[in-house]
Amino acid sequence: MYGYSGKILHIDLAERKTRVETKPEAWYKTYIGGVSMASRLCWENIESGCDPLSPGNVISIAGGLFAGTPVPVGGKYGMASKSPLTTFIGDSLSGSWFAVALKRTGWDGIVIHGVSDEWVQVFIDDDKVEFRDASHLLGLTTTETEETLREEFGDDQVRSATIGPAGENLVRIANVSNDGRKAGRTGQGAVWGSKKLKALSIRGTRGVQVADPDALLQMSYDILQAAQGPHTQKYRILGTSSNVLNMNRLGLLPTRNYQSGVFDDAELVSGEYLHEHYKAKTIACAQCPIACEQVGQVKEGPFSPAMGHIEYESLYALSSNCGVSNMEASIKAIANCNELGTDTMSTGVTISWAMECYEKGVFTEEDFKCEKYPDGFEANFGDGEAMVTLTEMIAHREGYMGDLLAEGTKRASAKVDEERDTETYKWAMNIKGLETPGYDARALKTFALGLAAGVRGGCHNRTAAYDPDIKGWVDRFSVDETRGALAKSTEEYAAVYDTLPLCKFIRRCFTGKADREGAWPAIAKLINATTGWEFDYDDVDLIGERAHTIKKAFNIREGWTREDDHLPWRWQHEPMETGPSAGHVVTDEELEYLKDIYYEAKGWTEEGLIPKEKLVALGMDDVAEEIGV
Amino acid sequence: MHVQVEFLGVSRLATGLKEVALDLEKGTTFRDIVHMLATRYPTLIGDVVQANGETLQAPNILNLNGKRMIQENQMDEGPSDGDRIIFMSMSAGG
Repeated sequence: MYGYSGKILHIDLAERKTRVETKPEAWYKTYIGGVSMASRLCWENIESGCDPLSPGNVISIAGGLFAGTPVPVGGKYGMASKSPLTTFIGDSLSGSWFAVALKRTGWDGIVIHGVSDEWVQVFIDDDKVEFRDASHLLGLTTTETEETLREEFGDDQVRSATIGPAGENLVRIANVSNDGRKAGRTGQGAVWGSKKLKALSIRGTRGVQVADPDALLQMSYDILQAAQGPHTQKYRILGTSSNVLNMNRLGLLPTRNYQSGVFDDAELVSGEYLHEHYKAKTIACAQCPIACEQVGQVKEGPFSPAMGHIEYESLYALSSNCGVSNMEASIKAIANCNELGTDTMSTGVTISWAMECYEKGVFTEEDFKCEKYPDGFEANFGDGEAMVTLTEMIAHREGYMGDLLAEGTKRASAKVDEERDTETYKWAMNIKGLETPGYDARALKTFALGLAAGVRGGCHNRTAAYDPDIKGWVDRFSVDETRGALAKSTEEYAAVYDTLPLCKFIRRCFTGKADREGAWPAIAKLINATTGWEFDYDDVDLIGERAHTIKKAFNIREGWTREDDHLPWRWQHEPMETGPSAGHVVTDEELEYLKDIYYEAKGWTEEGLIPKEKLVALGMDDVAEEIGV
Repeated sequence: MHVQVEFLGVSRLATGLKEVALDLEKGTTFRDIVHMLATRYPTLIGDVVQANGETLQAPNILNLNGKRMIQENQMDEGPSDGDRIIFMSMSAGG
């Protein structure tokens, strides 16, 4: 078999034992890699109904089909577990040399079981697996941990994925870091912490055998050349943070916990402003010729020194959505999240919820007591120092507020509402427990469906249904019968990239067109040159449907019902008062209609369950037996 | 007819401007406006406007008043007096 070894490594942290599982080629043709394979490994190895922070959960890591090959932007891997934030499937992607090292070990995937008695780091050195003491790493930031391990191993070819203090403290919005990149969302870091796993280091010294190296090299060269042109210019020069001004002009920039879609000071927290005043450098993921990541640096003043990896989703969450117009505070807050190991999006949205609670009298200064401010502090929107301090309190679960916000908005609001007889859940911006992204969906009706139905929760990357709305292919302010099929199409399109995985920023570089017709034939050729298979357009398209289906199946087994496909209360009941998107909400009637036509487009039942014949047709017979109807 | 043109993202870097005011004859199309601006600011050619000087380079797109994206097949329509035209380059992800 080309492109794969056929072997999955299982690691038991409790017993400190390993075993090797072999998989047939048909299994790889169905699940490929990335989020699909990682989710499938969760399906096979997680005890249904388990507490996500208990030994019954697993960490599954799936390699990329193109990692370690010349294919541009293929240096990515997928990670999944049962999310401690959503209690459904939690899947994340990250691009880094960790993915390449994993591929070179010959393991197609890794499944980590059980809970270690003591804090541990695991070192995979090709076939060998070592369990090493990690006590000296506790409390270190993500960068400090990676640097310490690099010194200890004395070999730059050893690549490590680590958690920061937030993961150690079981913060439910904690992430996993590698080469400065993050497997960011759904709380993977807390799962690592629950297993007392501080770091996973990998050294792979083997090559990757592909079926047609000459063809793969030529195609990779052509894509690389295209990636230097106008198709990726916006990413290379400004990165995704250029979206701040776009979203603001569309009236969709989350502002003061989504109370508005227009931020008066958007210019001051824009990608353009970052580029002019704070940009230190751009960096690239492994195998990437685009280098989109903008690194912002604060050299002087109260928030110095700070260096943060600035993406749009981090920036909206920790600037406009907290009402903060001080770019230096935003860079510092993002840097804190990066170093302490929390998801910038969930962190920012959770802080903005706390700020709204403070401004509306639910919280007082005393609720914000911490070591730095023993009497507490005011937490008004726009207060950069309060925002920065809260990023630190969350990671350390410091004080009442740090411990509360470490749970994310869903649990924090439920706790406060029970304790104080309030209704702060109305301001808790999450879907299935995962905090919402940087696009206000009240005036993006297709995207609202994509988010509500999203198997991962409130995530833009897994649905991509903002595309037809924002690009004007449909009327974003209204609902019609096309949206169910559109939401299906966009989520499965995204799932193809997330499964291979390839960074979506390359999508125009195959033929100049980003749609299926432009990309799928080229991707089929890449797959075939790597594996020797004979994939065609339809086979590529099925990758996305299968990836989405295995995640949905996992959720159904965990007790998902139609009611779980919801939107935040605010998006359904509070129209924005100003800007181009003012006056809109997604009504109950609209949402239920959208869910109806989406389930129909997916070939599911009215209750959103999957018929057995549908699963069998996708080659998922064993899944059909367990959850098919 | 008076319209305001705003540059965001790559178009702002290319022109060095945040916005310009244009006085246009009635019937001026969006395509005419792109051509006019590409002539006035040749640095738009390449990353923002294609070599023909009148077609936007994907994924650049014009937005009208924050509400409507002008599709390629709508470029022969035109703005109204007082409209705001925004050069956007939409990015996904992050």
